[in-house]
Amino acid sequence: MIDINTVITGLGIAGNQVSIPIIQQMLDLLPEIPMIKLIISFILWKPFFAALICPGFTTLGILLLFFPWIERKLCGRIQWRVGPHEIVWWLGGIIQLLADSLRFLFQEVIVHKDAHRPYFLQFPFLTFIPALLPLMFIPAGNIVAIETPYAIQIILAVVCLFPLFILGLGWASNSRFAFIGTVREAFMYFAYEVPFIIAVLAMIVLYGTSDPVGIATKQTIWGIILNPIAALTFFIAAAMATSRMPFEIPEAEQELAAGPHVEYSGIAFGLIYVLCYEKAYVLAGLMTMLFLGGGSGPAIAGLGDLSGVIWFLLKVVIVLTTLFVLRAIYPRYRLDQGLSIGWSAMLSLSLIALALSIVLVLGGVI
Amino acid sequence: MEEGDKDRNIRILRSGVFTPLRRWGTKWSLWPCHFVTSCCGVELAHAFACGFDGERLGTLNMGISRQANFIIVEGTITRKMARALRIVWEQMPDPKFVNVIGACGQRGGIFWNSYNLTRPSEIVPVDFFIPGCPITPEGLLRGVRAVQEKIEGRDRTTIKFKTAELPSEGGKGKESRVPTTAKIFAPTPLIKVDVPKEVDWDFGEDLVKSLKAQLGGLYKSITITDKNRIAIKTTPENLVKVVRELSGTTGIDHVKNVNVIDVPHERKFIVEYMVSSYSEELMPVIITVFTEIGREAEPVFPSLTALWESVDYSEREMHDFFGIRFEGNEGMNGKFLLAPETQTPLRKDFKLEEERYVLEDGVPFAPKIELPSDLKMPVSEELLEEAEKSDDFVVLVGPHHTGSGHLRWIMRLKGDLIVDIIPDPGYVHRSMEKLAENRLYIQNIPLFERANISDPFNMNLGYVRAIEKALGIEVPERAKYIRTIMAELSRIGAFFYDSGILSLFTGHSTGFMYVWAIREMILEAVVRMTGSRCTPSFIIPGGIRRDISDDVLNMTSNFTSAINKRLRKFEDIFIYNPVFIARTKGVGVLTREEAIRYGIVGPFLRASGVDYDIRKVEPYEAYDKLDWEVTTGDAGDSLGRYMGRYEEIKQSLRILKQAVDAVKRMPRGAVISEEVLGEYREASKDIKGHLFHAYGNLVLPKGEWTSVTEAGRGTLLYSIISDGESNVPYRVRIVTPCWMNLRGIIEASKGERVADFWAVYGSFGYFPPEADR
Repeated sequence: MIDINTVITGLGIAGNQVSIPIIQQMLDLLPEIPMIKLIISFILWKPFFAALICPGFTTLGILLLFFPWIERKLCGRIQWRVGPHEIVWWLGGIIQLLADSLRFLFQEVIVHKDAHRPYFLQFPFLTFIPALLPLMFIPAGNIVAIETPYAIQIILAVVCLFPLFILGLGWASNSRFAFIGTVREAFMYFAYEVPFIIAVLAMIVLYGTSDPVGIATKQTIWGIILNPIAALTFFIAAAMATSRMPFEIPEAEQELAAGPHVEYSGIAFGLIYVLCYEKAYVLAGLMTMLFLGGGSGPAIAGLGDLSGVIWFLLKVVIVLTTLFVLRAIYPRYRLDQGLSIGWSAMLSLSLIALALSIVLVLGGVI
Repeated sequence: MEEGDKDRNIRILRSGVFTPLRRWGTKWSLWPCHFVTSCCGVELAHAFACGFDGERLGTLNMGISRQANFIIVEGTITRKMARALRIVWEQMPDPKFVNVIGACGQRGGIFWNSYNLTRPSEIVPVDFFIPGCPITPEGLLRGVRAVQEKIEGRDRTTIKFKTAELPSEGGKGKESRVPTTAKIFAPTPLIKVDVPKEVDWDFGEDLVKSLKAQLGGLYKSITITDKNRIAIKTTPENLVKVVRELSGTTGIDHVKNVNVIDVPHERKFIVEYMVSSYSEELMPVIITVFTEIGREAEPVFPSLTALWESVDYSEREMHDFFGIRFEGNEGMNGKFLLAPETQTPLRKDFKLEEERYVLEDGVPFAPKIELPSDLKMPVSEELLEEAEKSDDFVVLVGPHHTGSGHLRWIMRLKGDLIVDIIPDPGYVHRSMEKLAENRLYIQNIPLFERANISDPFNMNLGYVRAIEKALGIEVPERAKYIRTIMAELSRIGAFFYDSGILSLFTGHSTGFMYVWAIREMILEAVVRMTGSRCTPSFIIPGGIRRDISDDVLNMTSNFTSAINKRLRKFEDIFIYNPVFIARTKGVGVLTREEAIRYGIVGPFLRASGVDYDIRKVEPYEAYDKLDWEVTTGDAGDSLGRYMGRYEEIKQSLRILKQAVDAVKRMPRGAVISEEVLGEYREASKDIKGHLFHAYGNLVLPKGEWTSVTEAGRGTLLYSIISDGESNVPYRVRIVTPCWMNLRGIIEASKGERVADFWAVYGSFGYFPPEADR
């Protein structure tokens, strides 16, 4: 008979558990059934918890199911109407996205004659790599899947890969609207990427570290107050990167009929539809981490490590909501206007932010 | 096209393992693809805007057919559109559903005997029909619910109507017949467009004298046909010279209308150009230059495109209709407005189906319609080759595109710049001009209204004014003011329609929703006045159908304040939005000269600095008694065009308020002129019950009767040609503002960036059903 505790210690997951005082007693009381204990220890093992529950797949899944609904509801309110409602009307149509996704799941996937069939079908799935990978490095409170001092650099590198996959989508579609959309995506990519990276760099300079947990502990004053210019640049770049209004230039439904996605149908489109939200989630996580103090906040009694998770999620939701409400407020810029904003206004803003960070560091503020 | 299996999509839903999930998912996620086919699209927009909010049902309007699973066919499917409909349907993934809304999607409705009509049920399998012309938004949403129920398995069968016995005319034992006013067609009508008329018009007599001196031997005759109307008869050889002379020295600078009249029994065509000037003193004068040519299979006629570019599209239209070849116009190969297989339909020997179904037994209700035999929507091969050589990118936008409207734009791009745009209109061409030749004068009122249901009163008013002019009727004062109220309401409604479309085109859905909420109020006022949201047919020759109560007038006046209040919110979110200003400022600039040369009209011409508003130039109704100003601008860009109209709407609200006050002060009395009623004099307060008796046998005096009014989007010209014997018009020519503005859109967009096209297009307020008629 192998002692289960020995296994747990042997695997190295014993010392790195998520501690939740309120349910700790319950966990202790669990009968000595070996497998249950092992499973629970595994789930509560911080890296695993981060990947599986928060900020990983479970949270992402729930957010993906409800965020488009929140967006549609909010925009509806701003536009003097109600938005999705009839489906479970007593909850305000909250499961609208479930219906949409089921419909997409069971609908025919059309691969048209002119498409490059392998790429056309692969890219919607491949795009999940850059969308999901950064989640491994984003901490919710002190829970993070992979701890590394170069986390932010890795996140940046992976996030910047994202447009390449969109280019692939558009190219494989072999449609004129998709081509124009793809080229626009590429242009916009160049426009926001440089200010985006410089804005993040400004924060790394400010904190003197790129370790996510380290950044969180450094933010006794939130980054958004220390360097609001970097925060602004980052936010605009995030809006550009996720094709939000007023920078919904590559998709531009009225001009290009959704650009790179024009030929996708069924579940392939369903995947692309949520991709944009995933990217927004990653960027909101990054923004929370860099500017809003990560999971910091008054500790909620009895929740232990979960307290940080809840604060983190709350901030992410606020950032995401702000990003989505833009859609109801702004029209769309033209491509050249978007580019000039990226290359002139935002680039200068990001450089000012970098200078401000250096001044703050030299002045010994942080 | 083969017959589709009607219940195939329902079967797909019911097969497989996860049937309940599939059904539930599909039921709550019916995404209509954005395929506006005709004027019911206005009501569709209302159904999905904030008044009714179709998104409640989980239906989200999606611009792309690949991601949608639901088509709402909005009304008329013309021959050209039939191809597009089939293509869109084929592109959609299974399972997919089709609803047809509007009467013309079923049996043709008011256009039942049009030569350009098809029936959607013969092109794609239809799940549900919603009747109405146009449907109401509630009706549309009811249709969505019906499809949801069908998916669930509760299939609604068609409502069974009660059968009614039609009263027979001849009494018992005789064949039962419906009492109708028989149409009278003169067998050999005498068509003259220059019937002289004695008018008190000194300036005109001087003008005729100076014209005679100036033209020398180039003309055959010059006649004054009415006040402000002069007709010059000339020969085909001299026509270009006459026009060149007129434009050179007299200051005539634009063409209002190109018209052809077919006179088969005299073996001739009358070709006429109505020209006018934007110079101060000649503004109200319309000079008709006409000539006669032999009636051959393809007669040749000199084109005026070299002189005035604005006649280009009208000449192509006449080439489609009559087969006249305008020498010098480049667009004479192939059809412009019509489907390729259609023959010259406006020639008199092209007969439409008559209403035999009421009179004879055993005749099927619906006329037989030949479907288009292929799905080809041709693009000129030369264009493609040439573009290939010069490394340009050709993009076909429309007719199924979120930002195309009901027409196809063939765009030639160089990088992000537009090199050229070729319009391909006619997707909603419902052949009104031909239909009008086969209906009584009074029956044409609802017909022409459907040209533009976002601006219905102005459509009515123009036609009715032409009739009144011919008959010389003076309208009662009260009716004049009420007509003014209605015309202004309609103008405001048209502006809000266009603002909504422009805000959608610039990607701003909130702006769209806000103005649609305001439009809902206007429609409410219209409903209370007339009983119909979009198609009131309320203005009739001699006045209006019935008087309006003081409550409704008060409400209309209150609405103007409410509109003002909401406009401020709209200003904040849309008009003064920095992104909107950035998108439209300096885009698509047309200078004064260009605007005149390309023939654009109305508020868009005024935005380029031409002070020309027919309400001031040739005042009609009560406009000369009210205090208001014409708004002009000189920027000539998209923002200028839009803001110019916006200022104009503020003036309209002013007019509305004054007119309502004036009507309230006025004593109640007749609202229909007693001259036109004749023996039905007691109907002068309410025409109910007497309409057909009083107007059924209306016959206009011989000649050509032209009325010009300022509709919501610009100058609207009706020209009725009567032979003086028939109780149907011999020919009706409508020149709608949108048709004239088409050229302006094209020219303003050239050289701009791709995204600018929509800023220009939206700023012109182009309403395709109005342009295509």
